[in-house]
Amino acid sequence: MVFVTGPLCSGKRTFAQKLGGRQVYDVQDLAADAADLNRLADELADYDVVTAAEVGGGVVPIDPAARAAREAAGRLACLLAARADCVVQMFCGLPTILKGELPKC
Amino acid sequence: MLTLVIGGAASGKSAYAESLCLRAPLPRTYLATMQVWDAECAARVAKHRAMRAEKQFTTVECPLHLDRVALPRRGTVLLEDLGNLVANELYDPDGAGAETAAAILRGIDKMLLQCDNLIVVSNEVFSGGADYAGDTDRYLRALAAVNNAAAARADRVVRVVCGIPVYYKGSEGP
Repeated sequence: MVFVTGPLCSGKRTFAQKLGGRQVYDVQDLAADAADLNRLADELADYDVVTAAEVGGGVVPIDPAARAAREAAGRLACLLAARADCVVQMFCGLPTILKGELPKC
Repeated sequence: MLTLVIGGAASGKSAYAESLCLRAPLPRTYLATMQVWDAECAARVAKHRAMRAEKQFTTVECPLHLDRVALPRRGTVLLEDLGNLVANELYDPDGAGAETAAAILRGIDKMLLQCDNLIVVSNEVFSGGADYAGDTDRYLRALAAVNNAAAARADRVVRVVCGIPVYYKGSEGP
């Protein structure tokens, strides 16, 4: 599985679509409601490409639910990166490989 | 040549962009994007203009309509910054509104034809989640559209972190 992360609107999905295969996007939104993040990560790791936005770079939210959601999103990203063969971080539409290498197309 | 210099608040992006300009050929033009609302703004603008004049920059005010700017001469141009320009175009009644990203990108293309070296400063504001009030989502999308398209066509893309330049595309060169 290739895990594509990066800030909001940084070109994650556009990049993922070039890779092909079964894909799931914006999984940071699934984290908050997951009873078991490890199990969610296992399920997501069955896809070929998973994208998630980095949402932990701002000030800690005052709202407890927003705080918990942000925490869960970050943890899920760590679990996915650990399971991924390749981790890509997008920045202004430009990819940086943080782990492994991209599958040959 | 197009260079995109991007960084967070107080990351040192402006100082680094300016240092790139000082190494590039004269003449130097500064495209200023801040809208002047009151005497405090005006005083700040005057101070910055004087500081840049010492470094041989001529300032051209450009809070809106980058695509209408006619440069008096070629050389090196510093456009600072896209975060301001997007906000102005998006929210000023005379701005491009829904066409903001396209208008600014058209302006960058036209500016590239008028100079030898265009250095554009932009803002990294996308890692803090999407839970903002009101219309911020529209602003984030417009700024990201400009950033990503500018990065795609740029010869150099450099992110400034704590004053340290990290090149994502191209290199600092000699």
